[in-house]
Amino acid sequence: MERIKVPAKIAALDEVNDFVGRLLASRNCSEEVLFQLRLAIEEIFVNIASYAYFPAEGEAEVCCEVLEEPPRVVIRFLDSGVPFDPLAREDADTSPEALMRREGGLGILLVKNTMDDVQYTYENGKNILTILKTL
Amino acid sequence: MSMEVNLIKHGSDAELKLNGYIDASNAANVEKILTDVAGQFDNLLLDMTKLEYVSSAGLRAFKRAYVDLHRKGGVLSAKNVSKSIMEVFELTGFTRLFKFV
Repeated sequence: MERIKVPAKIAALDEVNDFVGRLLASRNCSEEVLFQLRLAIEEIFVNIASYAYFPAEGEAEVCCEVLEEPPRVVIRFLDSGVPFDPLAREDADTSPEALMRREGGLGILLVKNTMDDVQYTYENGKNILTILKTL
Repeated sequence: MSMEVNLIKHGSDAELKLNGYIDASNAANVEKILTDVAGQFDNLLLDMTKLEYVSSAGLRAFKRAYVDLHRKGGVLSAKNVSKSIMEVFELTGFTRLFKFV
């Protein structure tokens, strides 16, 4: 399991994507899978950057592991900000009426619908969100 | 640069070629361009042939353009949307914002 620690800021998003990209470089993932992973990483990381420590600042830790049989990648996001379970809410309303009112919750909706598994836990003072994608 | 936007005028309609990607780091800039153009033209066509990636941050930019155009009876169109981006639109209900041509 490889890991990096970055400031929980949008400016660090590229570093997180590069980190995961390096670990997947030899895997020949499809364009679609790479897109979905980039999307899930962004939606999760941007939520942490926006809300975990607001208005203060903090760090996020990202762990990544590529596993075999079946080939899959596990990415774990940890922060020590406000306890928050992004999976606990009802899915965002995507009806025409709601579309024009708000777009909150779309990020986690995209994560849940593109990843093969999403888990949340709060342990030792940390929010821990783990995603899994079959490669 | 993460995104290059090229404007082509067709009378009172505009076409914007979106080349690159829209994510949280540049979505506000893209939104500004889209709303500026939506304010000046009747209808807007977004050519997404070279748009590689959109996240929920990008969806907000599209929604603003849609609202600004719709308010004056205009239409937001999109063409050559990639399979991955179309999936984002479908999952979020944002297919409703566009006339796909």
